[in-house]
Amino acid sequence: MVDLASSFLLECESLDLEHQHLADIVNQVVKVIDDGEAEKCADLVSEFVKSAKEHFANEEALLVKVGYPHAKNHQDHHKSLNAKMDHLIEFAKMAGVNHIARDSLRKELVFFLMDDVITTDMDFKSFIEEKAKTDNA
Amino acid sequence: MKGLHIVGVSHAYGENKVLDNASLMIPAGELVCLLGSSGSGKTTLLRLAAGLERLQLGKIVIDDKIVADPEVHVPPDHRGIGLMFQDYALFPHLSIIDNVTFGLRGMAKPKAERRAMEMLGRVSMTKYAQSHPHMLSGGQQQRVAMARALAPEPKLLLLDEPFSGLDTNMRLHIREETLTVLKASGVATVMVTHDPEEAMFMADRIKILGESGRILQSGRPHDIYYHPQHGFVAKLFGLMNRFESVIVGGCVEIPLGKIRVKGLGEGRPVEVLVRPEGVILDSEGKDGPVIDVISTHLLGHDNIVRVRLSDESGAKEDEKELYVRAHHAFEPELSNRITAGVDPEYAFIFPLDDLGGMAGAGYTAWPQPHAAE
Repeated sequence: MVDLASSFLLECESLDLEHQHLADIVNQVVKVIDDGEAEKCADLVSEFVKSAKEHFANEEALLVKVGYPHAKNHQDHHKSLNAKMDHLIEFAKMAGVNHIARDSLRKELVFFLMDDVITTDMDFKSFIEEKAKTDNA
Repeated sequence: MKGLHIVGVSHAYGENKVLDNASLMIPAGELVCLLGSSGSGKTTLLRLAAGLERLQLGKIVIDDKIVADPEVHVPPDHRGIGLMFQDYALFPHLSIIDNVTFGLRGMAKPKAERRAMEMLGRVSMTKYAQSHPHMLSGGQQQRVAMARALAPEPKLLLLDEPFSGLDTNMRLHIREETLTVLKASGVATVMVTHDPEEAMFMADRIKILGESGRILQSGRPHDIYYHPQHGFVAKLFGLMNRFESVIVGGCVEIPLGKIRVKGLGEGRPVEVLVRPEGVILDSEGKDGPVIDVISTHLLGHDNIVRVRLSDESGAKEDEKELYVRAHHAFEPELSNRITAGVDPEYAFIFPLDDLGGMAGAGYTAWPQPHAAE
């Protein structure tokens, strides 16, 4: 199961809450697979992808607002994840009837969230921290 | 969360920066391959995770515990890691069982020996327990090295080119065995390799390191092979045919035909990379430019065929010679006229004028079989 220990926190409340929401959906997917209810994966993964896209939009707006110098790169990174999200949806549609799809879905969802989304977001963690300190000073 | 978490690691040897803001997360039970050319920093990343070098910038976390940041350096033997190198590093003066129990110091001897025998059993080496390393083949030594690395039940296993000392047949066999043992152990594993095929075979996820020490792309082997986001990534996987063109009317035209493109504006200069299996030869010579076969090299199921486009193809001189992967049944001796086309699924298009952050981001051609006209 996914749990967001301190090394995965951005210390930016709104974004950390969105990450946690995504982690909660991943854990629900893992649970329905473990419980033999993989036919529920399709709806859960649709919600995951929708939430991920909303998160990307919120994050991009925030990065522009705070003047993060690599905001465009991060936006491009988000765009590069579209194909992976399409694959997640395809795997989820097949998860109820195909054990390889279930295995791939479980694995890819965790990698997607923890490696592609949250770990990559750590790139701007120090910038946001510095910005907050400057603004508070 | 259990596994390895590397965040924003940069590292330099003097003026030479070998890692630039590298980050990755490997959950327990998964295997990630770091793939890159020599000097790309992949072994440095492994050594930093192991604690064999002090971290300069960033953070390394194993099972939610910080083991390295610029202030913290947990020594290698306190990180709960297993290491396996290409030379196996077995102690020549110790028996096989003593090699495996060596990492179990602190455990009562009978218990350590039971554990060692259990691990040797997992790699089918119990009958060699009293032998010495020099009495074993390379493949057998590799199995013992695996048993020794896993015996202390590490949280993380680090493999540095573990199969490079084996001959081809043994390598295929041992890497399959290794994968089975690793999956059964549930340990998070990082494997460094410069062999793309090995990475594709072993990895749940591949991380491509570029020459600048930056991670260029991460994904399933399928993502990396079929959706490369960078010319460097596409070229890592063997022979590639390269053309230059310009986008006109939503297409690029190369001597093999037209390919439709999404997401790039009109007039942009591009590099078009076509894998050898993306060049389609027609022995009946119906469509496309005529080619001359220079040589064929049978690889078993496939042929690698070197061909030359005719002068009438309009190809530039440096774009005339191509590599083609053709079915073994392809026999140029039986054809009077052979023509070539392109399968857009194996064609990758990268802007030549993109100097921004996603320089070279890949724009795969529209995957429709009739796109080449």
